[in-house]
Amino acid sequence: MNLGTRKILDRSFTALGIGSIVVMALALLIVITPIIYNGLGAVFFKGTIEHRKLLYNEFHRGDGAELEREIAEVAVYRDQAYRMLADFELELEGMDPEKAREYRMQYGPVKTALQTLLGPPPGDDSAILTRFRYGQTRWEKAEEKLHALLYESKWDYSDPDVMAKEYFVRRAESFEGTKLAPMFGFVEKNAEKMLLPRFTLYWGFLTDSSIDAHIFGGIWPEIQGTFFLAIGAMLFAFPLGVVAAIYFTEYAKDGVFTSMLRSANSTLAGVPSIVFGLFGLAFFINTLNVSESKSVLAGALTLAIMILPTIIRAAEEAILAVPKTYKEASLGLGSTKWNTIVTVILPAALPGIITGGVISLGRAAGETAPIIFTAAVSVGSAIGIADVLSSPTPALSWNIYNLASEHEAAAEIRHVQYGMVLALVSIVLLLNLSAVLLRARISKKLKG
Amino acid sequence: MSGDVNRDSNRSGAFVVSEGRRKMQKAARTAGESILLLIASFVAIVVLFIFYFVAVDAVPYFQQRGFAEFFTSSNWYPAGDPGEFGALAIIYGTGMVTLGSALLAVPMGIAAAVCLSDILPFSVRQYAKPVIEMLAAIPSVAFGFFALVILAPLLQTSGGPMLMWVWWILAGPFLLLAVIVGSDLLTAGIEEPVRRKRYATMLQVLFTLLAFLVLYVVGSQLNGMQILTGTNALNVSIILSFMALPTIVSVAEDSLQSVGRELREGSYALGATRAETLVKTVLPAASSGILAAVILGIMRSLGETMVVWMASGNSSHIPDPWYNYLEAVRTLTATIAGDMGEADQVTGSARYHVLFAMGLLLLVISFISNLISERIVVRQRKILSGQ
Repeated sequence: MNLGTRKILDRSFTALGIGSIVVMALALLIVITPIIYNGLGAVFFKGTIEHRKLLYNEFHRGDGAELEREIAEVAVYRDQAYRMLADFELELEGMDPEKAREYRMQYGPVKTALQTLLGPPPGDDSAILTRFRYGQTRWEKAEEKLHALLYESKWDYSDPDVMAKEYFVRRAESFEGTKLAPMFGFVEKNAEKMLLPRFTLYWGFLTDSSIDAHIFGGIWPEIQGTFFLAIGAMLFAFPLGVVAAIYFTEYAKDGVFTSMLRSANSTLAGVPSIVFGLFGLAFFINTLNVSESKSVLAGALTLAIMILPTIIRAAEEAILAVPKTYKEASLGLGSTKWNTIVTVILPAALPGIITGGVISLGRAAGETAPIIFTAAVSVGSAIGIADVLSSPTPALSWNIYNLASEHEAAAEIRHVQYGMVLALVSIVLLLNLSAVLLRARISKKLKG
Repeated sequence: MSGDVNRDSNRSGAFVVSEGRRKMQKAARTAGESILLLIASFVAIVVLFIFYFVAVDAVPYFQQRGFAEFFTSSNWYPAGDPGEFGALAIIYGTGMVTLGSALLAVPMGIAAAVCLSDILPFSVRQYAKPVIEMLAAIPSVAFGFFALVILAPLLQTSGGPMLMWVWWILAGPFLLLAVIVGSDLLTAGIEEPVRRKRYATMLQVLFTLLAFLVLYVVGSQLNGMQILTGTNALNVSIILSFMALPTIVSVAEDSLQSVGRELREGSYALGATRAETLVKTVLPAASSGILAAVILGIMRSLGETMVVWMASGNSSHIPDPWYNYLEAVRTLTATIAGDMGEADQVTGSARYHVLFAMGLLLLVISFISNLISERIVVRQRKILSGQ
């Protein structure tokens, strides 16, 4: 080969390596950026008067007098819109039946669309679900709903080779000449005056319970459930893991038995997470009966088994990283082996052990598969510390799946889903970040 | 208990200990050690329990229905009475997304590991490593959410053009490289400088034209492609490869680091470039460690649940044609997670037991591959330390 070609090959090899690192960084960026951007949208957004009304009615938060004034302010415009509807309904009565039926068919969606935008007309208390009692609470959603009110969507199937294309027809055109026609222009012009959008900082998203299956409100029960599960798993796994690590590093003699134990450890680390869920169901719930059915305890035990190998490995590394001289000095002063471990080695290794624990805590908080059958429910209220032995809990990771894939109005509550994902990712990443910082400090300290 | 004994022995003046006390001390020490041993072997007990309890609930299925249906039929109608439990399509789907993610993650992971260990200066590596660790820390359900809510609609609306650009960006440089190397190799045997030059230029022009033609034709084919569903095997493979990458990179980097300096220096001394040194010396020396990394990475994507459940489309049929990555598939993990809610746990229906049979299958696969990768790592350590 030419020298030039070899050089080109060498450079492109370098480029390939650097490119793959760049791709990984980009992947992280591509995944994280929309989650952060949209997740923050759950807390910072333009809230409408409906949002303030909801906060006041359901959570008793906000300024009542101010709200009264605003309701009076928007009522002026809303009443006009609802009057136009009423007028049109009267007009329908007087029309000839054939024509009236045609109009009625198109009028139905208009009425629903207006109600989802502004809420039910004053005096109508028939709605049972909370979601039908209020209009749009977020301005960007209200803009979508306004579009749905003004335009009817139709599909173009004319070209069989490509997928059908959506196009929009103004609804006003089909009501030309009736008393409803001016309503569309009126609502379009006065939408802001009807909803009074205002920049909102909704901290309650983190601390409120959810209302009506997460259509409104916050994610506190999920955050709390995640916390219970992760902490519970740590309570079981951490002491066990540390003691096992002490055995492996200080007492175990090289032999078939020890290598079998180590091999069991790496086997446990490699078991697919869903199998832990199966085991938790079959062993903790169906065999041991730690609880009637799903419970925080069963979930925490399952998660504990899952993170045990990680903790053992991290603690082992931390103990091995303690300089030999510490141990020798202690033994040289006449202290026993156990004494040396407890008073010298463990304190020196503790920061490293805790680092491993923090990382495992993050892993336990983020895992979903093991808690599906053992601890998680899709909708539930926050549980007290007394109930952890017997009752299941909602948890961030499981509810993200649930809201994104199985919720009846999944597309409507994207902001809640993003907010939940952001909450989970930031909990896990913060834990990991603190572990990384801790480790950096330790390595500096051990270097001296 | 052993603490008390220690305190006594300290008080008594350390070394002169009576016979009885020494016996007591020894007994305490052995007792303490056996407690430690018991706790340390807890993990092994747990592993045995997992195998036992998953197997116990899996056996009734095989007793009732035998092995043949599970592995040979692709009719999955668990809700029927008596129900059909052919898991072939599900096993196939699992293999498909695992293979897909491996195809994406393995080359990229090895390249990244090589880059981290041999190419990047320390100042950059310091920051590159935490980025990779962060990728590993993100919960799988967040990746699943990304796949379902962002990537799937994107694939559905503009999948064709996206695939085309990926093809052009990825394959373009490689084809260009192939042109340069190919013409170089073909003209290598010719001695006369003038003839060689003309011949090489001609070949280069011809090859370049051919390469661009291939690039363009495949690209335009991809551009015209319509992706009917965004939740498909391709989507899952992409996301799973993100999740397998950190494992592959960190294990492969460890094994590259453990290759001694003298091998590299020997290669440089013979006049090899860095790429040649890495490809012909370092990578072969670290090959078994890299194989272990690949196995661990593949296991990560095989055992992943949330991403495949959310983004694979959960359709239990073998894609048509069999290599079609743009169709929805279903995997073992997703089936277990999704069907357990409907399976009758109390009376233990066949539907309940078949899910445990799937769990057992996953468990056995992970056990075997873990054993293999462990064996490989031990062997490599032995070879590199020169024993």
